[in-house]
Amino acid sequence: MFEGMFKKTYIKPDKKQRPKKVKKILREIPQVPEGLFQKCDACGHTIYSEDIAENYYICPKCEEYFRIRPRTRISMILDQDSFVEWDTGLETSDPLEFPDYKKKLAHLREVTNLEEAVITGEGSIGGAHVAIAVMGTDFMMGSMGEVVGEKITRAIERATSYKIPILIFCCSGGARMQEGMISLMQMAKTSAALKRHDEAGLLYISILTDPTTGGVTASFAMLGDIILAEPKALIGFAGPRVIEQTIGQKLPEGFQRAEFLLEHGFIDKIVERKNLRYTLATLLNGHV
Amino acid sequence: MFKKILIANRGEIAVRIIRACREMGIETVAVYSTIDKDAIHTKLADEAVCIGPAPSKDSYLNMEQIISATLATGAEAIHPGFGFLSENSKFVKMCEKCNINFIGPSAELIDKMGNKSEARVTMMKVGIPVTPGSKEAVYDVDRGLELARKIGYPIMIKASAGGGGKGMRVARTEEEFSSQFNTAKKEAENAFSDGTMYLEKYMENPRHIEVQILADKYGNVVHLGERDCSIQRRHQKLIEESPSIAISEELRQKMGEIAVRAAREVGYYNAGTIEFLLDKNKNFYFMEMNTRIQVEHPVTEMVTGIDLIKEQIKIAAGYRLSYKQEDIKINGHAIECRINAEDPEHHFMPSPGMIKTLHFPGGKGVRVESALYSNYEIPPQYDSMILKLIVHDDTRELAISKLRSALGEVIIEGVKTNLDFQYELINHPEFENGEIDTGFVERIL
Repeated sequence: MFEGMFKKTYIKPDKKQRPKKVKKILREIPQVPEGLFQKCDACGHTIYSEDIAENYYICPKCEEYFRIRPRTRISMILDQDSFVEWDTGLETSDPLEFPDYKKKLAHLREVTNLEEAVITGEGSIGGAHVAIAVMGTDFMMGSMGEVVGEKITRAIERATSYKIPILIFCCSGGARMQEGMISLMQMAKTSAALKRHDEAGLLYISILTDPTTGGVTASFAMLGDIILAEPKALIGFAGPRVIEQTIGQKLPEGFQRAEFLLEHGFIDKIVERKNLRYTLATLLNGHV
Repeated sequence: MFKKILIANRGEIAVRIIRACREMGIETVAVYSTIDKDAIHTKLADEAVCIGPAPSKDSYLNMEQIISATLATGAEAIHPGFGFLSENSKFVKMCEKCNINFIGPSAELIDKMGNKSEARVTMMKVGIPVTPGSKEAVYDVDRGLELARKIGYPIMIKASAGGGGKGMRVARTEEEFSSQFNTAKKEAENAFSDGTMYLEKYMENPRHIEVQILADKYGNVVHLGERDCSIQRRHQKLIEESPSIAISEELRQKMGEIAVRAAREVGYYNAGTIEFLLDKNKNFYFMEMNTRIQVEHPVTEMVTGIDLIKEQIKIAAGYRLSYKQEDIKINGHAIECRINAEDPEHHFMPSPGMIKTLHFPGGKGVRVESALYSNYEIPPQYDSMILKLIVHDDTRELAISKLRSALGEVIIEGVKTNLDFQYELINHPEFENGEIDTGFVERIL
């Protein structure tokens, strides 16, 4: 009804259609600023970035957890202004002189504003003094090489000497292949430091986030006195394809997700991101 | 001046805004939900974009879609109308970030005045009388009880983020305070995601008088007289008129000055309305400020001769107000009657459906604002208001006669409407002699 019947604004009385030449007028053309909206890979909806940030970086439409950067995590978990960073400025010695490795690292440092795949330091949660290490996938998929191993080990050792608990937010693609054996050694190094920490009667809480795999899972990630995980986080050692090929069987539904691990006794509790700070504060203040 | 404006609304107000743009030679973009694809505003506009399925939250409240439609069509500005996103500061911020002109005030102004308890505090600071009540926001029932004792019963419990009558309850005695407070708070949490409450001394059947203001971006503020909106049912306005028969010229000037002062105090720009309550002793109190164009704006247009929608557009485009306070004259008397698709015999339940026979009145001083046409299917998802009938004449008596005649000529068949109910109201002796207050409709029912 009425389709195409009303005379349009742009029709001049003596012309039947839109004038061909539309003058280019200098004015501010509305543009979407870069990053104002983001697409959720899980549900495909375009979401206002502020809404995602306000919702703990979880998609407001489908509840998919987005991976977050180490500094964002620190600001979510620690008491405001309590964080003091440790051990900045460490660089790998590139033990294998792996081709293009140094170039890749330099590029990543520029692009991500991170020096390496982990940030360590101290702070407080609900007033409780803690040491903290947070890994992130932005930098080389969170892979562990000598710098990551060294920073984590130093953080654990400092925690032991200060007699404070240590929290490690695990997130990794595994050991860093560009550093070969040195990377694998970090598994032993970090585990040994944790053993000493444990012998001193001190607390270590590991929080497994998506994805926690490879050498990190097979070392410090699974050594927590308390092991927490975020919902639906991928946690495993070998990749699913490799496992399927090795055992020659199809893997069950939800394999290697946090819920599967909880069911099979590998982790203590799944904690929603918005409850993590409160849960940790409760555990730490209770523990003291 | 803008070359193209997107109208983020539907129904009669969308038609109203599109008409103003057409008159100014500005191209228009209409947006519509799937169920509104045959709505007349989509045909009247130069372009139309579908922005989602029928539920408001997926379409007319869908900020991303509306912004996308604006950018895709190259519209430079958005007029939000009333309701929907018109007072949503998050949406305004989004527009600002995308370089889209929002035809209305800034996000900060909306937040400032939209937070009702804060607005009261702001007004108190500049010596504007406010309804006696809590000076601060009330978050829990115990604090509420304490404050209520100081203010004195009966108490009106209101939602800070509220509007449209939601999140409001009256507690006449201390015994009923707790339950009324908790009910109102729950309603507020559901409707506005904000359970912050505040308290006011409940006035028994006050008059609701609101003042229209216009302000440009250069600090020039004028008021365009008042509207008397005391005829309400459950806090929904039914009949509005300008000027108010309850106030003297002196009081009118005073209220107007206060309204302008309030707007200036917060640095307001574009169209806005300051709402006052008038008690039996002609004392007036600031109640709240609405930072949008209102449904009843036509009555002000009729008595002042000023096109408020066009003024909104001009202000947003950076024009200065083209007149001063002394240029504003109130001529004659205007009355608006809202017609809703609802069934007065069954608790005014909404009554959507297909319009069969339709006839609108006309003539000197008779104005109809509607998006109806014959065989139009009124969808059930939206507000039930389908028509506004506005009349204007030299005196209130003449305006009432005209309203009776014009209302008597309106024919809307196919759905139930409150037409007959309105007809009863305007023929009531209390309406005629102007002794109306906010309790009038309840007395009739």
